[in-house]
Amino acid sequence: MISKNLEEARADVKKGIKESREHAEALFGGKGLTDPIPTVEDKWKLLPAFLKVKGLVKQHIDSFNYFINVDLEKIIRANERVKSDVDPHFYLKYTGIRVGAPERPDQEAMNRSYTPHECRLRDLTYSANIYVDIEYVRGRQIVRRKGVPIGRMPIMLRSSHCVLTGKNELELARMNECPLDPGGYFVVKGVEKVILVQEQMSKNRILVDVDRKGFVQAGVTSSTMERKSKTYVGTKNGKIYLKHNSISEDIPIVVALKAMGMQSDKETTQLVCGQDSKYIDKFSPNLEECSKMKIFTQQQALDYIGTKVKAPKRAFGPGIRRPPAEEALDVLASVVLAHVEVHDNNFRPKCIYVAVMTRRVVMAMLRADLVDDRDYVGNKRLELAGQLLSLLFEDLFKKFNSDLKMNIDKVLKKPNRTQEFDVYSQLLFHGDHITSGFVRAISSGNWSLKRFKMERAGITQVLSRLSFISALGMMTRISSQFEKTRKVSGPRALQPSQWGMLCPSDTPEGEACGLVKNLALMTHITVDDEEEPLIKLAYILGVEDVSLLTGHEVYMPDTFMVFLNGNILGITRYSKQFVAAFRRMRRAGRISEFVSIFISDHHNSVHISCDGGRICRPLIIVENGRPRVRSEHIEELSAGKLSFDDFLRLGLLEYLDVNEESDSNIALYEREIIPESTHVEIEPFTILGAVAGLIPYPHHNQSPRNTYQCAMGKQAIGAIAYNQLNRIDTLLYLMVYPQQPMVKTKTIEMIGYDKLPAGQNATVAVMSNSGYDIEDALVLNKASLDRGYGRCQVLRKYATLLRQYPNGSYDRLADPPVHPDGIASVGERIKPGQVYINKQMPTNTSSDIGVNSRDPTANAYKNAPMSYKSAMEGYVDKVLMTTTDNDQTLIKALIRQTRRPELGDKFSSRHGQKGVCGIIIQQEDMPFSDLGICPDVIMNPHGFPSPFGGSKVEDMSRILIENGFSYSGKDYVTSGVTGEPLSAYIYFGPVYYQKLKHMVMDKMHSRSRGPRAVLTRQPTEGRSRDGGLRLGEMERDCLIGYGASMLLLERLMISSDIFEIHVCEMCGLLGYAGWCQHCKSSKGMAKMQIPYACKLLFQELQSMNVIPRLQLENVF
Amino acid sequence: MDMYNGGPEISIRSLRKDGMKFVLSNTDLSVANALRRIMIAEVPTMAIDMVEIEKNSTVLTDEFIAHRLGMIPLTSFDVDRIQYTRDCTCTLYCPNCSVELTLHVKVNVDFDDMNDPTIDKTRQVSSLDLISSDENVKPVSDDKSHPILIVKMRPGQEVKLKCIAKKGVAKEHAKWSPVYGVAFEYDPYNKLRHSHYWIEEDENLEWFVSDNAVEETPIDPNEPFDYNAKPDRFYMEVETSGCMKPEDVVLRAMTIMQDKLGGLQIKLDDEFKEDTQRWGY
Repeated sequence: MISKNLEEARADVKKGIKESREHAEALFGGKGLTDPIPTVEDKWKLLPAFLKVKGLVKQHIDSFNYFINVDLEKIIRANERVKSDVDPHFYLKYTGIRVGAPERPDQEAMNRSYTPHECRLRDLTYSANIYVDIEYVRGRQIVRRKGVPIGRMPIMLRSSHCVLTGKNELELARMNECPLDPGGYFVVKGVEKVILVQEQMSKNRILVDVDRKGFVQAGVTSSTMERKSKTYVGTKNGKIYLKHNSISEDIPIVVALKAMGMQSDKETTQLVCGQDSKYIDKFSPNLEECSKMKIFTQQQALDYIGTKVKAPKRAFGPGIRRPPAEEALDVLASVVLAHVEVHDNNFRPKCIYVAVMTRRVVMAMLRADLVDDRDYVGNKRLELAGQLLSLLFEDLFKKFNSDLKMNIDKVLKKPNRTQEFDVYSQLLFHGDHITSGFVRAISSGNWSLKRFKMERAGITQVLSRLSFISALGMMTRISSQFEKTRKVSGPRALQPSQWGMLCPSDTPEGEACGLVKNLALMTHITVDDEEEPLIKLAYILGVEDVSLLTGHEVYMPDTFMVFLNGNILGITRYSKQFVAAFRRMRRAGRISEFVSIFISDHHNSVHISCDGGRICRPLIIVENGRPRVRSEHIEELSAGKLSFDDFLRLGLLEYLDVNEESDSNIALYEREIIPESTHVEIEPFTILGAVAGLIPYPHHNQSPRNTYQCAMGKQAIGAIAYNQLNRIDTLLYLMVYPQQPMVKTKTIEMIGYDKLPAGQNATVAVMSNSGYDIEDALVLNKASLDRGYGRCQVLRKYATLLRQYPNGSYDRLADPPVHPDGIASVGERIKPGQVYINKQMPTNTSSDIGVNSRDPTANAYKNAPMSYKSAMEGYVDKVLMTTTDNDQTLIKALIRQTRRPELGDKFSSRHGQKGVCGIIIQQEDMPFSDLGICPDVIMNPHGFPSPFGGSKVEDMSRILIENGFSYSGKDYVTSGVTGEPLSAYIYFGPVYYQKLKHMVMDKMHSRSRGPRAVLTRQPTEGRSRDGGLRLGEMERDCLIGYGASMLLLERLMISSDIFEIHVCEMCGLLGYAGWCQHCKSSKGMAKMQIPYACKLLFQELQSMNVIPRLQLENVF
Repeated sequence: MDMYNGGPEISIRSLRKDGMKFVLSNTDLSVANALRRIMIAEVPTMAIDMVEIEKNSTVLTDEFIAHRLGMIPLTSFDVDRIQYTRDCTCTLYCPNCSVELTLHVKVNVDFDDMNDPTIDKTRQVSSLDLISSDENVKPVSDDKSHPILIVKMRPGQEVKLKCIAKKGVAKEHAKWSPVYGVAFEYDPYNKLRHSHYWIEEDENLEWFVSDNAVEETPIDPNEPFDYNAKPDRFYMEVETSGCMKPEDVVLRAMTIMQDKLGGLQIKLDDEFKEDTQRWGY
C-alpha cells in the first residue's frame, strides 16, 4: 500500500520535471535550462585552491611582508644619513636593515625564541629586533658595523618573520596554536590587535567633483614620500582657478600655467581644448581674465603668485626671505601637484598635467555626466597594516635620528673629551623610542604623524574572540574614513562596482551601516609594485612621449593618453592594440599579475596601475567564446598536479581590479558566454564574504535577513579555536556540544566552520504554542536542555599584579582563608562574594627609602583581596602565575561557569531569525510527530517569511517523499497535552540554531536601595555599580502630562537625593542647624527639603561669586 | 463508564529487548495519552545524580563529565528496592537510597611509544570503566563493543571520581526517563476527521498512511461520516533506554496511573464526605 503510494509519488515528480522541461523548450527554443551544456565541471574547486595559497587574510600578511622585506629598506635609504652640525666630518650612514626572528627581549634567557601564545598568556608583545647595518666616523676612521639593534618591531602572526609560518598541524599544536587561526594580527601586551583595513580615496588620480556650491572642480591628492597635499582646479563664476593650501588665494588657471612657463595663449588653448570649438568657447574667458590682470610673461605670473604664497615655516627663524617669484617657482615645482616631478626646472610635464585637469573641468562643465563618482570602488584604495606601519616607522625613525643627532651634537660640542666619541654606544643606549612608539600606536589605535598631519584614532581593534567567525570577520573588515554623522547616503549605498570585491550582505546595522564593509571571498589587495619596467614596456609598445607634442596632436580623435598610476606617460594612437599587447605580457607573466590596464573611453585615455591598495580578484579568461580553464585543468588541480598559481602562470586566470573589471565583459555562468565575453566568474557565490557564506540558500532570503545573520553569526557561541582550552581571555564563551551544521555551504567547508562550529542542529517545529512565543519568542523542550542542548561555558579572566614599590616593599599573598597559597585551587568552587586571590598590599608605598624601615607600621599590610562578583557560582578553571617583561608577578585566574539555557536567553537560526526563550516546557507536554519525535525548539511562525512555503526545492522534496514524509516537510503532529492531533500540519525538522552571547544572567538587574554617587548623592548608574533605574526625561514628561505631581516628587527627589536644608528667611541663604552665618542669627530659619544636587548647585554658584537666594513664602 | 465494558485491553504487536509495539484499545483517549505521559516522565529509574570528583586532568571540565555521567542509563529493574532520597532518613545519601559507582582511569606515559604517531595513544573512557557497588544497578551495556563514551584521554591524564546514583523521575530531569521515544497514534485513516490534511492537489499522493493502517480497514467512501464516533484503538510504540524491559515500563506506568487515580479517588471521597457532612448535599 505504502510502496504503491511511493511509486505513484515518484512518477508524479518525474512527470513534473518532464512538464517543466517541455515548458522550457517552448520558451528557450529547444534549449532548456537543465540541458547539458559543455561546462567545466567543478570549477569552484579553484576557490579552495585560491584559499590554500592566498588564505582569507592574505591581504594583511602580504602587506606586512612587503613592509618588512621591501619598504623598510626604502625608508632607510630615504633617511640614510645622520650628520652633525658641530663636526662637519662626522656622519652616520645606514647601509642596511633587517628584522630578526621573534625573540624575547630578555638578554639572559636560555631559550630566546618564543611563541605568540606565550605572549598572549604573559602579556608580552610578540616582536622581533630591528637590526641596522651602519657606517660611521670614529675619530679619523670609518667604522662599519652590522646588526645593530635599534628597536623592536611587533610581528604579525603568520607573516614571513613569524615562527608559525610554514609549520604543520603537529608543530602548531606544540606551540599551542590553532591551525585554523588565520593570523594577520599582532599580539601587543598580551592583547590580540587587528589593524583594520582602511578605505580611502585613491592618491595621485584626478577626480572631477561637484562641490557644495555646485561648482565643478578637479582634485588630486598628491602623495609622495615627502609630502601629501591636495590640489584643485575649480570653477568660480564660470572661470577656472588653481587652488592649493600653500597658496592663500585662488590663482587663475592661465596665470598658473604662465608661471610654469606656458606663455603662449595659443599653446595653452590647444593643450586644454584641442580643436574643439565648444571647449574653446568655454575656456576663453580665462585667457581674457589673465590679460586683464596684465600678466603676460612667466616672470609677471610668478611675481603675482609669489605675493599669494603662504610663508613656509623655516626651521632657522625668519632668516633671509627669498624674492616672491623664487618662492612661487619653488612652491609650484615641489608642493603643488608634488607627485608630478619637476626635474631641472622642466615644467612641461606639470603644465600638461594641469592642462589635463583643466580640460576635465571644462568637459564636466559642458556635460554634467562626466563628473566622477566618488563612491565608485575603482576610485578607492585600501590601506593595510603594512602601509600604516610603514608611515609609523618612518616617523619614528626620523624622530630617532633627530634625537640621535641632538645627542651626538651634545657630545661633540664638549671641547675636550676623555674618550674618543663612538656613536655606536649612543645608538645602543638610545632608549626604546621605536619599540614604545610601535607598542603605543598599536595598543591604543592612535596614529598621529605630524609629518602628514595625520591624527587618526581607532585604527586598531582588539580581535574579537567571541566565536571563530567573529575573529575571521574582523580580519576582513574595512573601515571607512567618512564621518559617521554625515547624512549622505552615497558612501553607504551598495555600489554596483562592489560586485565580487566587497560582500553585499556583511555590514553592520545602525550608524556604521554601509561604511564598514567586508571583503568578499576571493578579494585580493595589491601592494606597491615597481614602475620602471612598466614605463619601459609602455614605451616599447609604442607610447609617445607627451612632452614633445602640442595639444593639437594630443587631442586627435584616435589618440589616447596613457597614464601610469595617475601620471601622464604619453600618448598612443593604437589604444586597442596597445592594451591587448600589454595584457598579453601580463598573462605571459612578464609583468606582475596585479598590474591593471584599462581604456577609459570618456576621457580617451589608457590607465595603467601598479600602485598598492587596489582591490582585485581572479577571473577565468574567455577566449573565442570558450573559457581557457578546461575540465582537464580542474582534474589536474584535484589530483594535486596544479596549484592556483600555476593557473595564473599558464594564463588561464588573471586578476582584474575594479577599473579593469568595468572594462571587461564578464559572464556569470559558462552558458551565458557570448562572443563579446572576455572572462567568466570562477564561482558566483564568491561575491559573498566569509561571514555571509555561512548562510544556506542566501538567495531564498529577503536581503536584510542575510545582513542580520552576518551580524548575529559573530555573536554565536561555539568553538573558538583548537587552542581554546589553553587560552586565558577576558571573556570566553564556549558551547558544550557544538555541532557542525547539517546543511552546509561550500564556504563553510572552506573556511573551516565545520571544524569550529557555533550552533546545534535542533529539531524545530514551526508552530504557535502556549502564547509564550509571541514576538519571536521560542519554546524550548526541558528534556532537551537536560540532555545538553544550548549548554555553554562562560570563562572569565581575573588578573592581578603583585607590584614592587619604589621603597622596596611589595604586594604579597596571604594564605588563609584561601588555601593553600592565597590563590584558589583549580577545580575549586567559588561562590559569589568569595575571595579567590588573597592579596595584601603594604600600607606604606611611598618612596621614602630607609626612613620608615625601623617604623613598625612600615611593614604593615592591608588586605586587598579579589572577590568573585557574579550572581552564579563558578569553578576555577586555570590559574597562571608568571612574570611580565618588567619583572612584576602576574596572576591570572580563569573562572568558569556552566550555564544551561534559561528564560530570556537569545537564540537564532541562520536566517536572521532571532528570538528569546519565552517558556521551557516539559517533554510530555510537547507536541510530537507520529514517530514519537519531540521538537527541541518550537518557533513561532508569525512574521516568518515562509522559507519553504513557496520555493519547492525539487530534490529536497524527493528525498522527503522517499523517506515517507510529506514533500513540504510538514508533519502530522499530536498534542502532548491532550493526545489529539493538531488541526494544522506542522513544519518539522532539523534546523541549525545558534545560541547568542546575550544571556539574561549577564543582564538581569534590579535595585531597591543601593550605592549612591559621592558628589551628588544620587543613585549610581549602571548594572555593574548596582545602579538605580532612571526615570528619564520622557518618563518624566508622561508623569507631568498625567498630573501625577506627588509621584513625580517621589521619583525625582524623595527616592533619589532628598536633603534637608536650613534657609534663612531674611537673607535667603543656606544656614546650618538653625543658624544663619550671614545674618549671625537664628531668627526666621526655616527647614525645607530639596534635592542634594540643588543644594550643590547653590554652593557651586556661590563659589564663583553668584549668590542664589531663596525667597520663602507661606504655603498655607 | 459503560462505554468501555471490560476495561482497557492491550494487544502486543511486537516485543523486542528495547522496544515494544502494542495496541491499547477499549479505553478513552485521555487514558491512552496519560499512559504515554507517565511512561515519559513518571516511571522512576536510577541515574547518576551526584559526582564527587577527586582528580580530573582530562580536557573535559568537571561539570561536563558529571553531565555526561548523568546521561548514562543504569539498569533499574530493581528500582523499587531503592528509596527516594527525599523519603530516606539519611542526611545526604545512604545505601538505602543510592548506589555508588566509581571510576578511576589513569593513562600512563609510555616513553617508548611517545613519538610514534602510528600508535593511537587515545584512551577511550567509557561506561565499561564505571564500577558499580550494586550488581543490579550498573550502566546499560548489552553490547560490549559499543559502550557509552565518557571522555577521551591522553597519556599522563587521570580521572578519579565517585558517582552517586539515585532514584528519580524524568519530571525532574530527563536522565531519569526510561524511554527514548513513545510513538502514539490513533485512527490512521482519519475516519474521525480529527485532522485536516493540508493538501495542494491530491490527498492520497501527498500524504502517506502510517504503518499502523494495516490494523484497520481502509475508509469506505460510501460509508457515512459518524460524527459520534470516538477513538478507541491507540497504536503505541515504546523504545527504552535499556534501563528496564519495555513491558516493565508499560506495566509500571499503569501501576503509577492506578496509584494516582486511586489516591485521587480516596481524596475525592473524603472531600465528598466532608462536604456532605458540612453542607448536607
